[in-house]
Order: sequence, then structure tokens, then C-alpha cells
Amino acid sequence: MTVDKDDRDSTAPQRGSPIEFRLDLGSGVPTYLQIVHQVEHALRLGYLVLGDQLPKVRDVVSELAINPNTVLKAYKELETKGLAVGRPGQGTFIIEASLNQVALPELTELRRSLVSWVAAADAVGLDEDGIGALVANVLRDFRERRGGSADRRDAARHEAQGVA
Amino acid sequence: MTTLSTFALPVRAEEENLRPLPWRQMAWVTWRQHRTGLTAVTAMFAAIAVLLGVAGLHLHHAYAAAIACQPANSFACNNLVNTFNGMYGFVANGFIFQPVPALVGAFLGAPVLARELESGTFRFAWTQGFGRWRWTFAKVVGLGCVVTAVAGAISVLLSWYYQPYFPAGSQALYVSRELPLMASSPLGAGLFDLRGVTFAAWALAAFATGLLTGVLVRRVVPAIVATLVAYTGLAFAVGGILRQHYLAPLVTSKLNIPDSAWVLSQQWLTKAGRPASQSVLSHVLQGAPGQLFSKGGVPKSVNVWQYLVQHGYTQLTTYQPADRFWPFQWIEGGWLFALSVLLIAATVWLVRRRAA
Amino acid sequence: MNVIETHALGKSYGSTRALNDCTVAIPEGHVAALVGPNGAGKTTFLNIAVGLANPTTGTLTVLGGCPAGSQAGLDGIAFVAQDTPLYKNLSAGDLVHVTRNLNRRFDQGYAMQRLCELGIALRQKAGKMSGGQQAQLALTLALARRPRLLLLDEPMAMLDPLARHDFMATVMTAVVDDGVSVVLSSHVLAELERVADYLVLISRGRVQMVGEVDDLLARHRVLTGPSSQSDRYAEQWNVVHESRGASQTHLVVRCDSTSDPVPSGWEAHPLTLEELTLAYLREPGAAALPGPSWGRQAERSEATI
Repeated sequence: MTVDKDDRDSTAPQRGSPIEFRLDLGSGVPTYLQIVHQVEHALRLGYLVLGDQLPKVRDVVSELAINPNTVLKAYKELETKGLAVGRPGQGTFIIEASLNQVALPELTELRRSLVSWVAAADAVGLDEDGIGALVANVLRDFRERRGGSADRRDAARHEAQGVA
Repeated sequence: MTTLSTFALPVRAEEENLRPLPWRQMAWVTWRQHRTGLTAVTAMFAAIAVLLGVAGLHLHHAYAAAIACQPANSFACNNLVNTFNGMYGFVANGFIFQPVPALVGAFLGAPVLARELESGTFRFAWTQGFGRWRWTFAKVVGLGCVVTAVAGAISVLLSWYYQPYFPAGSQALYVSRELPLMASSPLGAGLFDLRGVTFAAWALAAFATGLLTGVLVRRVVPAIVATLVAYTGLAFAVGGILRQHYLAPLVTSKLNIPDSAWVLSQQWLTKAGRPASQSVLSHVLQGAPGQLFSKGGVPKSVNVWQYLVQHGYTQLTTYQPADRFWPFQWIEGGWLFALSVLLIAATVWLVRRRAA
Repeated sequence: MNVIETHALGKSYGSTRALNDCTVAIPEGHVAALVGPNGAGKTTFLNIAVGLANPTTGTLTVLGGCPAGSQAGLDGIAFVAQDTPLYKNLSAGDLVHVTRNLNRRFDQGYAMQRLCELGIALRQKAGKMSGGQQAQLALTLALARRPRLLLLDEPMAMLDPLARHDFMATVMTAVVDDGVSVVLSSHVLAELERVADYLVLISRGRVQMVGEVDDLLARHRVLTGPSSQSDRYAEQWNVVHESRGASQTHLVVRCDSTSDPVPSGWEAHPLTLEELTLAYLREPGAAALPGPSWGRQAERSEATI
């Protein structure tokens, strides 16, 4: 559920991008990551499709009053992930709309096993927060074992906000 | 403007040719910032001009009528003389115009820097490309010229106004006798600095004093007060003590000193050359015939002096003759101008050196 | 090029030392936050950079080595002082005219367009405008000079939240459009966190932290663990600040990278910028300063104590 910021300025409406970003100052998540997540989320939900243009840096900056380097860093991260590419003089465009998509049957199977696991945890007496903490812990260990400093940094930050 | 290369911010291009900054660009800025002060000064000048013009014409007509009247000692002609003498007595000794340079200097000069420093706008003005000392210099020179010009114009008007009181080589009428003693000499305190070049020089000095106090005191109202105090002190010191020493005064034992001379002191000496005290003189005068005295026993006429001279006493008068008017004007105008330049230089130097 | 570079900069007012041995090199192309408590020396620093004050000891150069207050410095730096001083009895149009006359470079079109966008009438006197409008007007005049470096001294102290947002949006847009570098000072870090990518922390006249924000955050973390073990580990680690309870202790630690292993029983958390600066402010002796790599752009270098 992306929430669009109220469009209250009288400047020309954004012709390029279907989405707008918002900033959650209290979450503790770095701004550039919030932007990356919002793009990924929009892709998942279909607000953004292949070929769409991401908001221009200038527009994001004048709307949210954030450092342009932050936006550039987010877009660079998206490029590293292979989701978008920057075209000089034109903007940044989505080139890959599928996000580590897991095929539907696998997804359904995973969901079913998760439901029974949660029921088992509840039966033992673990409450919601306890379940969340346990999952976060295991996720972190899993990532660390997988290696990579960037991932670790992301993991530490994800940990700070709870399960993504 | 600059193109956004992929994921990097635009880099500033190397500097294009920047426009030059001629001094005259400060003219508009100075005018706009000091519009109120300049308008007030102009309005004051206009008011003085109108008043002097009307009154001066009156005075000149009365003088011309009194001069041309024949026969010289008739009742009708004496009436004209009395009319002339009675005119504008409060203006005649010139003291009413004395504060003008002080006011112009204090109210135009002090706020120039004091207001910037007090309100903090120097943080805007002195960080612009024009630079702070050029900004100060341009303002000071511009406003200083205006002050000098306006004061000079007023002084020309005043010279014209007072002309009937100082006819060249006058013996035509004893009009000057009726005026207060100080005013009868062109070198006298109230009138000397209204005519010639010194009026403008005093105004410029007051302005320069205002500038310096403004930069030292950094608050507008205290700077204005300090300027007025300093100016008053200087004016009194010059008028009372300094001015009489510009050129070595003349000393004479003659009794018929012209009315236009500026008498500095008078002294009676005995035959032996020592100062004679008042009691000795009174003693001598006791033997004098009664018709020498006027009411109250006060020796008034030259005849009394002649009596004393006959009895061996000498009167020494130290004075400055009236024909030294213009040399004195140049001397006073000169050192006042030098002082103004010094004060202005000090102000610009302080602005250049001093920190926020 | 470093937009501001100082070497052992010191400033005393009589017997008070406002700045003490400050050595900083702020590279261009950044939005640098100059942060510290009230009276720390931020305004003094900016005043020296802009030529309004002279250093007592040390040097400060701007825009790649020009002396502060020189002609190049005056031309290339635009300054908006605290409380945005403007001539209150002049109208907006007059102020534009004055600024145009006093500068070699002035974009009249930009100034007019911005005033139009802001809804400021040319005939409106500056004294009659709201605080937000005055700030925006001062900013417009500064940006119309097309400076290479924009210095802002506590620009938002008098502004309401909406005005603050608009003000920063204008500054950030200018960074995108024109490549201007920005140094802004504030004693409220929270409002700078999302705009600053470079940090200079000044406290009691001394520089405690200097560096890119990402770099500083990458080199610090909070380690939480049992108080009984904290003394043992405190010797191995580079502890900046310790907050100790009866059984649990938080240690703000400086490390080479956050991927260093965490001993069992301990947890590692990242820090927000605000937490990090508070930790340093509470420990006047601690400092995170770059090593001896001056003259070049400030790069990631070993943090020294």
C-alpha cells in the first residue's frame, strides 16, 4: 500500500513517473534504503512496470527536501540490483520488473509450512513479539553465514526496523 | 543548465568572465538606503532657503532705503535706520544657525555605519561581492559630497543675507553699533563660521565625526548623541580658544579701533609699563570733570580714555583686524577639511580591519 | 577542491576562546552540516569563512585555497546569517536591485521567477513579511548570485515546520540544478539528518567529528551486552561512550567495519546520526577525525583517536 503524498504544489505535474516517494523520518531506516524499498514495493504491487521512469532526482529533492546524493545513491543501488538503469539526459528507468519472484506453487507451499510453524510456536507459548524476534535472529544468522559486508550492513539495519 | 550525468551531481563549470563592479553602482544603493536622511536634509535646506530668501530681501530693501535716504540725520532717515536695526534681531548674531552643521552631520553621518552594525545588516552588506571597505568608501564619499554641497549652498545664502551688516569699508552708517557686540566683527563667534567656506567645512567635519563614532559605538542613538557632544565641544574650543591664534594678533595703543575689529583683550598700563588695576584707574578718574561720565559713573566714551591717556596711562588692545577674514576662513576651512579626511580615513581603516 | 579548509584555526575574543585548534577540510559537492551546542563556535567559524572575522591563530582558506574575505571568496560565497538580516525598510524589488548592484554575478531572471513562485510582491517591504518569507527572500538573493558555496547560519531557527521544509527544499533543488556546495549550521541535528551528507561536529570550540555521514555511520555501532563483561571488552574495543545499567550495558564503539564479529551474548546495532553525535558530545575527549591526508579530497581514511 503505497501512499502518494498529497500533490499540493502548483508546478507542472510529474509527467514521467507513476509513483512518488514518501519519507518516514521516525523509522530509523536510512533514507536511501526507504527509496529502494518503495521502488521494490511498487514493483511488487504493480504500480511500476517495465519501462516506467522513476521520479527525477530534482523532483524528489524539491518535494521531500532531502539530499540529492541520497536519491542518487538509491538509484545506484537499484542499478546494482539490476532493477533500473540511468540514461544520461533522460532519467532512470525500470529494466527488470520481476523481483526475485518465486514461482507461485513454491510460494504457496512455503506459506503453508509457515502457517503450521506459527501454530506450533503459539502452542508452545511464544507470543507474537517472541515469534518476530526469533525469526529476525535466524534471518540474521542466515545472512551472516551467507557473507558479504553490504548484506551485513543491510541486515543490521533491517534488524533495527523489524522484519522487512 | 548543466546536464545531469548518470548518478552524479553537476560539476560547476569554470568561471565565466564576471562583470566588473564600477563605483557608481554604489550610488543607487547609497541613495536608496539613506533616502530618508537625504530627503530630510534637502527639505531643511529648502526651508532655510525660503526663510532666508524672504527675510533677506526684506533686509536688503530696508538697508538700501536707509542708505539712500537724504539728508542723513533727518528724522525720517533716522526712522529708516531704526527700522533696519530692529529687523530680525534674533537672527542677526547668527547663533540660530550654529547647530545646523552639527545636526546634518550627526543625523546623516552617525547612522551610516551605526545602523548597519546595530541591526546586523552588515552581515549582508559586507559579504556581497563589492567588498566592505569599497562599500564604506563609496557611501562616505557620496554622502560627504552631498553634505558639503548643501552646507556650501546654505552658506552662500547666509553670506548674501548678512551682506548689509558687513558693507565693504563701511563708514556710511553706524548700523553695526546697534548690534550685539560679538556680531559686529566678521570674525566674531556667531557669524564667522556661517560665511565663507567654514560652514561647509564644519558640516563635513560633523559628518566625519558621526561616521567614526558610528563605527566605534555601534548603536545609532548613542552615536548621534556622542557626535553632537563631540562637535559642540570642538566648536566651543575653536571659537573660544583656538581661532584667535590663527595669526598672531595685533597689539596697538591707539584708541580709535574700528568697530569691525575683533577685540580679544584690552588692558591699561601705567607709565612704567605695568598693568594698572581697576582701583588705580578709578582713583585717577575721580579727579575728572563730570561730563565725561554717563549715568551710573561708568566711563563710556572715548573721552574718558583720552583723559587717562593724558595722565600717562596707555591702553593696549589685542585684536584681529577685519581684513583677516578670508585668511582665517582658509585656515579654519583647511584644518577642518584635513581633520575630516583623517576621520574618514580612520573610519574606512576600522571597517577594513575590524571583525564582526 | 575543498570549499573550506582550515589548519589549526583558533579564535579568541579577549580571554574567551571561541575556536581552538580546528583542522577541517570540507570537500565540494556536498551538503555539510556544522553541528554543535549553542556557543560551540559554529557562528564564529562561519564568520571567519566569510571574512567577517579574522582568525587569531591558524588559517582558513575557501574555494580551493583563496584567503577568506578575498575578492574570489566574496564573489564565490553567498552567506545567509542568523536571523536573515535584510534591510527592513526596503522592498523585495529594492533588495534585488541592491544585490544586483553589489555583485559581479547575478541571475535577475532566477530572482524574479523565484519571487513569483513564492508569492512575494516586489513592492512588499521586507520588514512586513513573515519569518518564512524573509528567509526565502534572503535565500533567493543568495542563490541568485550563483555562488559556488552557500553558507547558512542557523537558517531555520525562526521558522515553522512548513517554512523549514520549503526552505530546505529550495536549497536542495539549487544543489541539483547548479552544483552549489552547502555548509549549514544548526544546533538541532534532527532537521539536518536528511539533508547532510557531510558532518562537522564542533563542541566547546573544538572539532570532534569530521567526515562523510555514511562513512561515520559505517564505522560506529552500538554493542549491547552484560555489564559484567563490558570492562573486559571495553579494553579491546574503541569505546566512545558507555551507558551502563546494573546488568546491561550499551557501548558506542568505533570499528573499522561493522562486519567485525560480535562476541556471543552481545548484540550489535547500527546508530542514527543523532545518537552518534550525542555520544560524542557527551565525551568531550573523544574525537573521530581523518588522518593525515589533507590537500586532497577527503577520502575514507583511518579514523584516529
